[in-house]
Order: sequence, then C-alpha cells, then structure tokens
Amino acid sequence: MADPSWSKHVADILRRNDIRTFATVPDYVVTHVLEHLWADPECRVVTVTREEEGVGLLSGAWLAGRRGALLMQNSGLGNCANALASLNVAGQIPIVLVISHRGDLGEFNPAQVPMGQATGPVLDALAIRWVKPSSLAELEAQADGLIKLAYTRSLPVAFVLPAELTGGKQG
Amino acid sequence: MKPPATLTRAAATRLLAERLTTEVVVSNLGQASLDLQQIADRPLNCYTYGSMGQCSSIALGIALARPDVRVVCLDGDGSLLMNLGSLCTIATEAPRNYALVIWDNEVHETTGGQPTATAARSNLAAIARGAGVEKALEVRTEEELRRAYDRILREDGPFVVNVKVATGRAEGRLDRDVVGHARRFKRALAELPVR
Repeated sequence: MADPSWSKHVADILRRNDIRTFATVPDYVVTHVLEHLWADPECRVVTVTREEEGVGLLSGAWLAGRRGALLMQNSGLGNCANALASLNVAGQIPIVLVISHRGDLGEFNPAQVPMGQATGPVLDALAIRWVKPSSLAELEAQADGLIKLAYTRSLPVAFVLPAELTGGKQG
Repeated sequence: MKPPATLTRAAATRLLAERLTTEVVVSNLGQASLDLQQIADRPLNCYTYGSMGQCSSIALGIALARPDVRVVCLDGDGSLLMNLGSLCTIATEAPRNYALVIWDNEVHETTGGQPTATAARSNLAAIARGAGVEKALEVRTEEELRRAYDRILREDGPFVVNVKVATGRAEGRLDRDVVGHARRFKRALAELPVR
C-alpha cells in the first residue's frame, strides 16, 4: 500500500532545495504533488500545453536565476526529448524532472506500456541521471543528493515515481 | 495576391538594436541568432541553437523570473508554428514585460526555403489574438515597425508583433559557443540590479 503522504514529501523535497518555479502538464498522479504547490503562495506553477514548452520555460527561468522543476507523466518525456537534448544537455542547463511512471507494474492501459517501458532507456540515452524510489524511505534517501547533482553537473535529473510509491492510477 | 515583403530581417534587427538598453533579447536558432550576433552582439542576448519551437517559451521563463526586465523574443514563423501552444501560455500568464517578435518570411529559411503555413492561409497575429493576446500586431513597413518597437519597449505587454520580412539568408557563420553564450547571458542578467 502506498503511503498517501508521498506527495507532500515530493513537494517538500523540491521546496527545501530552493525550487519555487514549476511547469506542468498534469496527470492523475502528479496532481497530488501540484495540490501542495498550488496551495503555496511562494510557488509559481505554470500549466503549459505540451511538456517541452515547460522545458523551455524552466530553462529560461534558470538563466534568469531560478531553479525549476517539470511535473509530468512519462508520456511527456517522449514529448520533450529533443528539447532536453538540444537545450539542456547541450547547453548545460539544469532542470529537475518529476515523472509519474505509467505503463509499468499494475498498468491497465495498453497504450501506456511502450512509453512506460522506454522511460528509463530514454533518460539513459540522454545521459540524464535518474532515480526510481519505490518507497518513502528510498525517496528521502536519494532526493536531496539527486537535486544537488543536477546543479553540480549543471544538467537535468529525473525522479521517476513508480506506482509502488504513489499508488499509481487504478483503472 | 499578397504584396511581397520589403523589410529585411537584418534591417528590422538593426532598428531594434538601435533602441536597446537593458532589455533581454532571446533569439531563435539559425537566421535570427546569426543576424543578432552580427548586428548587435551583447551579453544580454540569449541565443538559441536547437530545441526548435522553444524560443518563445525560454523568453517567457525569463520574463516570469525577472518581471523588472523587458524581454524581447525574436522568433521565426516556422519555429513558432511548431509551438503554437506557447501563445496560449503567454496569454494566460500575461507578463507585462514580454514581447514576442516574429520574423515571418513564410519559409523555413535555414533549411532551404520550404514554404510554411503562413505562405498559404495562416496568420500568426490572428492566431495570437485567438489565443488571447490582445496586443497582437502585424507589421509590413519600416514605419509600422518603428511604431511597434516604440510600443513594445514602453507599454505594458504582453505583445505579439508579426513582422512580414523578405526571404534571404544572412552572410557569415553563427558562433556556436552554446555553453559559453548561455553562461555569459546568465551572468549579465544576474548582474542587472533588480528594479
């Protein structure tokens, strides 16, 4: 059973690492995190029309001195692969990706499965360091270090949030 | 038949450069960045080299993070057509310090001049208005462009200014120090005192 406090942990991890600017194309899972951010007057959350727009927007925010995180489903990773490669990796512009993982354990929708299985390989192919914590303990053990690495390397990093952690979406 | 465009991208870039002080200028990959580098290279220019379509979104992120600084984005018709949703986000966030200028030559110039949708029936200023950007202008002459620049550098935005320009490639080569230019820009903007 997923611990329902996972979403508050994710929101707190981002905020305690000085991230206040967020972009999103919401899905059922990341909306639980967004609710904490929407409720926080210090946080700016921009809902974009397509995930790669969020990549551009948060890259601009970083160039203007602000850290940013993009909250999306793994389908959105497919939508922003080229922007991550040619803007963030080539230009050494860090961004924190928070990706809800559909298409893996417990998935009910066949259309989600191929991108779900491709999520890790796509991140690896872009040399984006990522973690997939399956429990709150793992999340807390890895999170600050992963975000610190993003700004040390000046490159994107990704949290892939599996159904074991979040409860996923039940069909 | 539409009248052929007489303004050139270089002349339009020069007219903007004459007016610049502490504005940020974000330029699209290819021709827009090449013109800007050659005519008015400056640390507050943010050149882009890839991520086609994202220029207006990068500029929006800068404008939202630094509401005290005017941000002018020089995009292309082909690139904006790849990210039309950006116009909706600009309208929704409505940053007063944001102006999107489009060099609309109706072709994909960098890749050899293949026509875009604006060569046929699509009108980017009308699309911007439909997205909810009230101050959406179309400019065809130098006099109209001067007036548009005066407005975007003084009035509250957001603005979208679609500039019909002639086709034609810039001479010379782009300086592709991707990381170096990004760092120079970030530093220059950080050094600009918050007003």
